[in-house]
Amino acid sequence: MKLKGLFSTAIAMATGLIVLVGYFIGAPVLVNLRITILNWVIILAAVAVFIGLFNLLAVHADKIRNKKKGGFFSLMLVLFMLITLLLGLWLRPDHPAMSLIFNAVQLPVETSLMAMLVVTLTYASIRLLHRRYNLFSVIFLATALLILLGSAPLPFIGSVPILSDMIRPFIAQVLAAAGARGILIGVALGALTTGLRVLFGAERPYGGSNPPSGGK
Amino acid sequence: MPAWISLDLITASVSFLLTLMVLSYLVGDNPLFRLAIHIFIGVSAGYAAAMAWHQVLSPKLVQPLLSGNMLERSLILVPLLLGVLLLMKLSPRTARLGNPAMAFMVGAGAAIAVGGAVLGTLFPQILASINLFDLETVGSIPERLFEGSIILIGTLTTLAYFHFSAKATPSGPQSGRLIDVLGGIGQVFIAITFGVLFAGAYAAAMTALIERVYFLLNFIASFL
Repeated sequence: MKLKGLFSTAIAMATGLIVLVGYFIGAPVLVNLRITILNWVIILAAVAVFIGLFNLLAVHADKIRNKKKGGFFSLMLVLFMLITLLLGLWLRPDHPAMSLIFNAVQLPVETSLMAMLVVTLTYASIRLLHRRYNLFSVIFLATALLILLGSAPLPFIGSVPILSDMIRPFIAQVLAAAGARGILIGVALGALTTGLRVLFGAERPYGGSNPPSGGK
Repeated sequence: MPAWISLDLITASVSFLLTLMVLSYLVGDNPLFRLAIHIFIGVSAGYAAAMAWHQVLSPKLVQPLLSGNMLERSLILVPLLLGVLLLMKLSPRTARLGNPAMAFMVGAGAAIAVGGAVLGTLFPQILASINLFDLETVGSIPERLFEGSIILIGTLTTLAYFHFSAKATPSGPQSGRLIDVLGGIGQVFIAITFGVLFAGAYAAAMTALIERVYFLLNFIASFL
């Protein structure tokens, strides 16, 4: 039996089992242990944010240093990242200067990207009918159209009588609720299986080599 | 700074320029759009790191280490050590040293996923499905039975669509005929669900577009 990755696997299994037992058994010792471990995980997640930041910095610094294509954009990225980081560390995130950065840069860019979705989604739905014209595509687009027409009052007409008060609620609250419930239960079963595979050491996404299939 | 230059004007001007730069993508990929996106990524990354420091690392790691009691200081040594090991992931040569810290996070994450799936999704969704047939709740009984039956059929057939196991036969793997039929019905429910979600996303995007156009027009009108 190979010992490679055994230490990491043992840590993952022990941590996972303690947290899981703390979820289902309300003994104060276990609950406190679970909360302590979760606090440590939050700290590690924050460290991971900085690792991501250093990685982003390294990738773009390399582009600038080697004068690769798009070097100017990388320079701007690094510049704005360092300015925001230093201001954030020095002034704290609730300072008016940080609010200005948030309201002047993050908010408009995010909203504009969201606004561009209108064009992207319209184009995608037209392409769907061209590329994959079948029953399910038609049902998908017809449902979207009915929901949109039934959701907001139309110019000169107002609310469409039967569509707004009967068809749209039936589609959204009965038919779509049924599909959504099936999808949610499916996702939960998938998460449960994957989680248990990690807890039993059959899946090792943290760098340890996975055991051969068949669990030998 | 001249009196007519206020903080609001700076915010609105930068916001106006960035909005135009992002929306310029509608005529095709161009340097202005790429510049706006790179600035956005830089600012977002810096902001996230500053938040991580002030909300997590400073109060939960640095302050207990500097001014906590003996127990707090000794307890904080574990995440400190794991954090240092995690930093080893930055270099390919030392990346293996970071595996125990990654394993710690993945183990806890898997347990949270299992607990969340069971207590947060499976139990509430199954209970909600059972409650559909509770005849003592508000509404006429035939209506409730009709709606409950459709939701139950939709849920089961949607789950049947995600049933991928198949029987091994000499001509290759074959799934059951019943599962195929149920999965076909489930696909209709899935198409309807995604249609509703698509309409929701479209309506939200349309709201954002209207807000941005309104902002651009207002900004220009303020100078006329």
